[in-house]
Amino acid sequence: MIGVTAVVLAARNITRRFGTFTALDAVNFAVGEGEIVALLGENGAGKSTLMNVLSGSLAPSDGTILMDDKPVRFASPLDAASRGIGMVHQHFLLVPTLSVAENLLLTASRRAGGALSYNIKGVLKDAQILAGRLGWTIPWQTLTGDLPVGTQQRVEILQALRGQTRVLIFDEPTAVLSPTETPELFATIRRLSDEGRGIVFISHKLDEVLALSHRVVVLRRGKVVFTGETRNLDERILAEAMVGADSDAAVLLQAPPGVTTTAAPESAVAKKALHVEAVTVRVRGASKAGETKSGAGTAPLLPTALDAVTFAVEPGEIFGIAGVDGNGQEELAAVLSGLMRPASGTVQIGGVAPPVNAAAFRRAGVAVIPADRQARGLAMPLTLAENVALGVYDSPEYRVGAVLKWRKLRERADALVKRFDIRGGGVNTSVLALSGGNQQKVVIARALSGSPRVIIAVNPTRGLDVGAIAYVHNALRQARDNGAAVVLISTELSEIQSLSTRRVAVLFAGKIAGIVAPDASRETFGLLMGGKRLKETTAVA
Amino acid sequence: MPKPVRDALLLLLCLAVGVGLIAALVAGAGASPVAVAAALAKGAFGSRYNFGETLIQATPLVLTGLAVAVSFQCRLFNIGAEGQLLLGAMAAVAVGTSESVPPNAKLVLCLLAGAGAGAAWAGIAALLRVYRGVQEVLSTLLLNFVAVQLLAYAVRAPLQEARHELIQSDKIAIPARLVLLQPATLDLPATRLHAGVFLALLAALFVWVFLRYTVGGFALRTVGAGAGAAELAGIPVRQTIVKTFLLSGALAGLAGAVQVCGVTYFLGDRYSPGYGYTAIAVALLAGNKPGWIIVSALFFGALTAGSAGVQTAGVSQVLIQVMQAVVLLAVLAAGYLREKSPTNTGEAVAP
Repeated sequence: MIGVTAVVLAARNITRRFGTFTALDAVNFAVGEGEIVALLGENGAGKSTLMNVLSGSLAPSDGTILMDDKPVRFASPLDAASRGIGMVHQHFLLVPTLSVAENLLLTASRRAGGALSYNIKGVLKDAQILAGRLGWTIPWQTLTGDLPVGTQQRVEILQALRGQTRVLIFDEPTAVLSPTETPELFATIRRLSDEGRGIVFISHKLDEVLALSHRVVVLRRGKVVFTGETRNLDERILAEAMVGADSDAAVLLQAPPGVTTTAAPESAVAKKALHVEAVTVRVRGASKAGETKSGAGTAPLLPTALDAVTFAVEPGEIFGIAGVDGNGQEELAAVLSGLMRPASGTVQIGGVAPPVNAAAFRRAGVAVIPADRQARGLAMPLTLAENVALGVYDSPEYRVGAVLKWRKLRERADALVKRFDIRGGGVNTSVLALSGGNQQKVVIARALSGSPRVIIAVNPTRGLDVGAIAYVHNALRQARDNGAAVVLISTELSEIQSLSTRRVAVLFAGKIAGIVAPDASRETFGLLMGGKRLKETTAVA
Repeated sequence: MPKPVRDALLLLLCLAVGVGLIAALVAGAGASPVAVAAALAKGAFGSRYNFGETLIQATPLVLTGLAVAVSFQCRLFNIGAEGQLLLGAMAAVAVGTSESVPPNAKLVLCLLAGAGAGAAWAGIAALLRVYRGVQEVLSTLLLNFVAVQLLAYAVRAPLQEARHELIQSDKIAIPARLVLLQPATLDLPATRLHAGVFLALLAALFVWVFLRYTVGGFALRTVGAGAGAAELAGIPVRQTIVKTFLLSGALAGLAGAVQVCGVTYFLGDRYSPGYGYTAIAVALLAGNKPGWIIVSALFFGALTAGSAGVQTAGVSQVLIQVMQAVVLLAVLAAGYLREKSPTNTGEAVAP
């Protein structure tokens, strides 16, 4: 497409340094009218930095930004926005306690309205026209915090799209969406591009990039390493461009010789490693049910977060739990990790129900890879050794009375660093200093090191690059081969489908809407996730 | 350049800028910076007696500094060391002046009562935080004011001296006092230095070992680093918070008891010159590390002990407070610059 359309926004030899670290190194980048450019790269490749430079959040250390071939300088994101550069952030910048209309007003042009009044009606009217054109129904007066993620994203798009927005940047917009919401977003993006707006689409996901974009630019370590027209590309070419020939993406999880990863499951008699019976969880606090009615295909708010959820997982099985975010996954994970006591129902590990606390669950053989590695997975400023010690600090093997055997704990951590190929620092490094992928390796090392009988993995690859994703998937497969019962709760359907052994349960509104084989069609999954109970679903007990 | 070296140079640079600022201020006030520095050094270290005074000032600062640091390491902002110290002092006086306590147990009981009272005072904030979600920054600060009033009441009624004339307590019995380390001899005059200085060092050692090597200390630091991760690891978060408050309050309360048993022997209205507040600066300067708290308490102690001297060099004692503030700001600036140093690739910034 480049050359065919007029270039709207371009970066010429943009360099951005942070002290001695060069995040962007003489990067050239351009987006034309109506063009969809995908920006691809591993974590830390410089994608966000480049977009922050182009949207006025960061000033370049060197190089120029051109709009319509004329050099420009953005003083702030607001300045960039007023010149037609909008950005839809991965982590929404909406104020959850304000209504949709109020959120739109927040970023609306300051000049609208008088000195003392807000032009809320005008702002709302513009947004409604825009929403109408895109075919959206938005509950304008609802608090944004109560909206489903997909609708929140639409509000975010409306916020970015004001006046004459000519270039719209999407920072990993599909990370939070369900399989049914993603095509809707793509339709929106295509419509915006048809209106002549330039689109920059940041993603890790190769299939999305191939499906949506006209042109692909690949960043690696701050440099543009590849540019190509999408129609000439396939996944293999892109993956190679992204991680490079010398990449360690192919590093598989290998136990060093002489070290067995896990002991065989102690008791083959306990056939069901995990048995969940009629678990019900009610939402704490006032019920917000019925407050919002919004876009199709999204979950309503739930009076009951989990409603009589029952399933069992056998040793050596990966049991997938699919569903759109917010349908009870969080509560289910909390119950399965011993963090939350269900209103009713039981969780049994190898036939025994442990007392409801995380330490008891861990000692019963439950290992957790939590959804939020920064808030739950890791104690961020602490060192790598201390973080892996969290899995065993209460074991008599590592303490004498009240004193911890730090030397032994550090030796263990050192062994885990080697076994799980954790890079970026030794055992005394703060985990803050590690990359996202290596942080997740620390979480996984802690979870898998103790020969767990049951593994609860929640969105274990969210935000990771392809190399790290392959690593995590291999780790889970290996744990399965060693006899662990793995519960994989993920909103990433392709991940669920490729990893699940036999069965995938779909959560909708706190209930299991159906249990199907992993190779069921995407339509089947889409319908179940949307709350349709399929009678003819190929149910697998 | 290796990172530790760079960090150290950065700190030195910031301190140099701070010293330069102070020198400029002194020169601006018409005095000689060199003379002021000399007077300060002489006041703090110039004689056996003066050095003793420095150590006397540093002792409660070590204890309260540890109290603050312990809570900060658990990401609890106990800024109530002042109130906890006052409660500790009151408890020590109550036990020390009581007739019913056997003499040979008096000192130990005084100190224990001080620690216990401080812990109880901090415990109020702990319970408010854990059960009612009251921010400890607020509750501990407000409890300081309550403690001040409680002290004002105590020295006018229940703890007032026997003749009920002066607004102060009786002196505690001699067996309840900490021994003086350097009583007068034939050729040397006495200093006021007392055995409490060893208690402070022991407390620092204890806190260091506790935080670094014990399960409890690990739990405390993990809750401070990430309560979510601690919870998932099965660490009882609320219990850890309460225990941390109790330890913190006990250390501050002990400081009050040590002041009573080692320095003043009695209690008056407006008892503490703000050790509990200076403690926050002591802990910040030391990066909440027990070993460095000894150093930073010595520094603040020397400034206080030497402050009388600077007047002879022609500037007001208030200069000492300015110096404390400038040094603290210099250290904070170094910390800020270190944090800002280039490691991340620039997070998205909100428009």
